Amino acid sequence: MWTGRAWWSMALIGVLMGALAGSGYVTEADKDIAKGATTIEGVTDQVVRSWFMMLLFSALLGAIFVSREYQSGAIGRSVLLSGGRGRLLTAKLLVGLAMGVVFGALTVALAAASPSVFLPQAQLEPAWTHETTLTLIGVFVVTTLGAPWGVLLGWIIRNQAATVATLLGLTLFVDEALLRLAPAVGKFTLTIAMSSVYRDGKPELLSVPAASLTIAAWLVAAGIAARALFHKRDVL
Amino acid sequence: MTRQHGQIGQPVAVAEGLSKTFGTVTAVDSVSFEVRPGRIVGLLGRNGAGKTTTLRMLLGLTAPSAGRATVFGHPYDELPHAAHRVGVSMDGIGALPGVSGRRDLTIWAKTLGLSSRRVDEVLERVGLGDRADRKIKGYSTGMRQRHALASALLADPELLVLDEPATGLDPDGIRWLRTFLRSLADEGRTVLISSHLLAEVEQTVDDVLIIQRSLRYSGTLAELTDNGAVRLEDRFFSLVGNGNESGVGAHA
Repeated sequence: MWTGRAWWSMALIGVLMGALAGSGYVTEADKDIAKGATTIEGVTDQVVRSWFMMLLFSALLGAIFVSREYQSGAIGRSVLLSGGRGRLLTAKLLVGLAMGVVFGALTVALAAASPSVFLPQAQLEPAWTHETTLTLIGVFVVTTLGAPWGVLLGWIIRNQAATVATLLGLTLFVDEALLRLAPAVGKFTLTIAMSSVYRDGKPELLSVPAASLTIAAWLVAAGIAARALFHKRDVL
Repeated sequence: MTRQHGQIGQPVAVAEGLSKTFGTVTAVDSVSFEVRPGRIVGLLGRNGAGKTTTLRMLLGLTAPSAGRATVFGHPYDELPHAAHRVGVSMDGIGALPGVSGRRDLTIWAKTLGLSSRRVDEVLERVGLGDRADRKIKGYSTGMRQRHALASALLADPELLVLDEPATGLDPDGIRWLRTFLRSLADEGRTVLISSHLLAEVEQTVDDVLIIQRSLRYSGTLAELTDNGAVRLEDRFFSLVGNGNESGVGAHA
């Protein structure tokens, strides 16, 4: 697997963002607990949940993994040496999934440790519950799936800057805006469906099974589009 | 190494009525030719004449709008062990970004199931053995050309498709390339080389394909130049004219 500096730089930025979000939440936690707005269990869940943003960096890594080959022209050699476009696409997807698993494992380790690191700073003791475990599993799943999602978008768009901009735009603005403006539609967007899986808890979200199906549908649709376009379009 | 071809006389590569249009622009118009084994074949034309597009169609990187191209009797995509039989150096196909020459070749060698010793062999052969640990982005144009040739040679292929390999080479590099290509043909390989450097090609190739969107000539260099009595450059311009395609026919 070759991803150059993209691998560790994406991981580093994601870890910094996750740590900032977790520690920032704990800073306000004692006041919220005092007001009765949350519980120590809720704070623990939220600190674990705050690592969901690693999914964005996992997706960016997947997107860069593919789109930089188009940028450098190395994709031409990949096609020539791979023994067929379908085989190449499958191989890249599997590598993307493996990258996602590695990213997901890193995220789970950090997310699992973060309550014990951050809560004592506010003189709080973490309270790990079944809900926390489900949240942790959800964070792992969405981070893992982020990379193949990025890979597929990279295949479809083929331009590194455009793919990165699309991922950022969808994740940070479009999906969130749709949820606020048209919740009945917005809850079916990929990143909002993913927030059901890491148990964000908003009442307008899909159930976990429905969200899982929605995520699968997005990935299958992107896979079909990527495959069709890859076979149809000129490589260079 | 001298290769024995199982199908003596069978064409290594065939284009049949290849055409490619981009929107309203016709880049290649019904080009047909055959590449015979063990020959150095020059695909000649001006910049923008359709040379690279033709090679890309031959290799399945670009889909033809019409016509068909085969390598060793199959479309490239369907050719068994294609990556081991055809070596490619082509404009637009770059190295992996941010790596050294040796690292780039090692990654491709692993993809092909080859040992790192093979990487050392091809690096020595193209004269990059002592500079292979430098980042490719720091390579000169000539070094990039040599690196691309090393990539093409990795799998010890029967057919080499080289797109403008002389571009950017200094006089020493061009002389080296000429000797290098002849050594490849002497080993029994077939070399299909595109170029617009007519004087250089004249000293290197056995057969000539001239295209200016459509095919203008396909045959031996000796026949085209009356065994050297006429310069290739003169024959080239008489065939392609000033770019106006009307009234210029293709030789079979």
